Amino acid sequence: MSPGAEELGPRLAVAGKGGAGKSVVAGTVARSLARRGRRVLALDSDTLPGLAFSLGAAAPAVPPLNAAVERDERNRWRFIAGVGPARAVQRYATDAPDGVRMLQLGKTGREGQAPYLAATNAFYMVVQGLDAVRSLREWAVIGDLPAGPRQIAFGWAPYARRVLLVVEPTWQSMLTARRVGRIALARRPGAELWLIVNKASAPGDARRVSEFLDLPARCAVPADDAVRSAERAGEALLDHAPGSAAVAALESLAEQLDRSSIGV
Amino acid sequence: MKILVSGKGGVGKTTVSGTLARAFAQAGHPVLALDADTNPMLGVSLGLGPEQTDLLVAVREGLETGETEHERSLDGFVERFGRDAPDGVRLVLASRIDRPDPGCRCCGVSAEQLIAELDGEGRIVIGDLEAGVGTVLRLETGQADVVVVVAQPTAKSLDVARRAIDLAEDRGARVVVVANRVRDESDLAAIEAAVGSDRELVVIPEDPAIAAADRDGLAPIDVDPRSPGVRAVVELADRLAGSAVPA
Repeated sequence: MSPGAEELGPRLAVAGKGGAGKSVVAGTVARSLARRGRRVLALDSDTLPGLAFSLGAAAPAVPPLNAAVERDERNRWRFIAGVGPARAVQRYATDAPDGVRMLQLGKTGREGQAPYLAATNAFYMVVQGLDAVRSLREWAVIGDLPAGPRQIAFGWAPYARRVLLVVEPTWQSMLTARRVGRIALARRPGAELWLIVNKASAPGDARRVSEFLDLPARCAVPADDAVRSAERAGEALLDHAPGSAAVAALESLAEQLDRSSIGV
Repeated sequence: MKILVSGKGGVGKTTVSGTLARAFAQAGHPVLALDADTNPMLGVSLGLGPEQTDLLVAVREGLETGETEHERSLDGFVERFGRDAPDGVRLVLASRIDRPDPGCRCCGVSAEQLIAELDGEGRIVIGDLEAGVGTVLRLETGQADVVVVVAQPTAKSLDVARRAIDLAEDRGARVVVVANRVRDESDLAAIEAAVGSDRELVVIPEDPAIAAADRDGLAPIDVDPRSPGVRAVVELADRLAGSAVPA
């Protein structure tokens, strides 16, 4: 093991049902970690808009990663000369507030994903290589996964040591989380599941979800109109309602994530 | 008639699909409800209950582990991966699975293929699609009569809704926008501003009965058929079906 290998920064993937609040958790935790002094790479592996809004970042119309790869003579994708996962992050990640760097898949538009095939492939190559990038070892990496329990979602998060399961106190959300948790552990043996109960409104909500999933609730984010209002405005929760109860809960989650050591 | 329900994750596609299906059935129409979400939950909104819904999902996922036998015919598919829900709605799971047996029809079948092949004559086929716009993108012109785009007044949801509307119109479908969880005039104004004020629009007000149904794993139409949210969906069903109820 190389010197400093034990100092791997937090490696997180955020998963759960659509609408459970994955992006708000990912965006707010990313910026909170950055405010605590971490270098942070936020990975948006969804083909729909989400993380950029929640970070309060401008989403480039064309994903910069489109320029990172080319086809080889056998028509397979490869990085362009001089670029690997480290350089791709350095060159093609875009700026988000608080110094967070954001790397994005292309978004689905009228033409579908086709115009951004290059970016999609480049993104995949970057995430596969992230663990080996020495210059990023101390960085926090936080990925916002596509909704739901599809196995392949985890193929896009090989860096994840901890999976943050964002769960609302509804049956649909809890059943989804149970499936997502099983798949995560099957795909990433040894990964830790951290339960984040979101939109808790009634007493006992967090306990109900925790008992159903047989996981301790690491964080209970209260149902908070400030979140709805931020979502409506398309603004980051941290900018829209910095004093809200939801922000306080997510900041304390970031603190826990920042402090607790990672088993490598 | 074939109706597809699309939108961002968590906006209420499944609630709208399940309640529409039950409303059509209560009005006397034969209904096939297709759960094409990769995270299939339509059974809960139809009133099958969380555990029954999860069991049906296990049958579908059994294709990946070899515990479920494959089906070669469309009728066999509807039989094996389906279940009868209240009011005579037939629920069928068509969720995509990640490791299909090469060449097998039942596990390799896509939502858009099924929608194309299922007969919409004399019955209503209603498809609860996966979050996002993937399935609508892959549809061909004429394969769906109506695309219901569900939106909430948030920036992300409206962004997805606009993409879904464009794609559905390109494919020749009648587009109905459902403005869900609307609390006040400003919510509605935000949605109208995003999708255009001349669009066919149905408003579902924020409804405690629907929230309670979600929490308890029940069908909203069973919790309170007269609640404002449920009534708005029932009215949409009436409007889509017109007055023609089969004898």
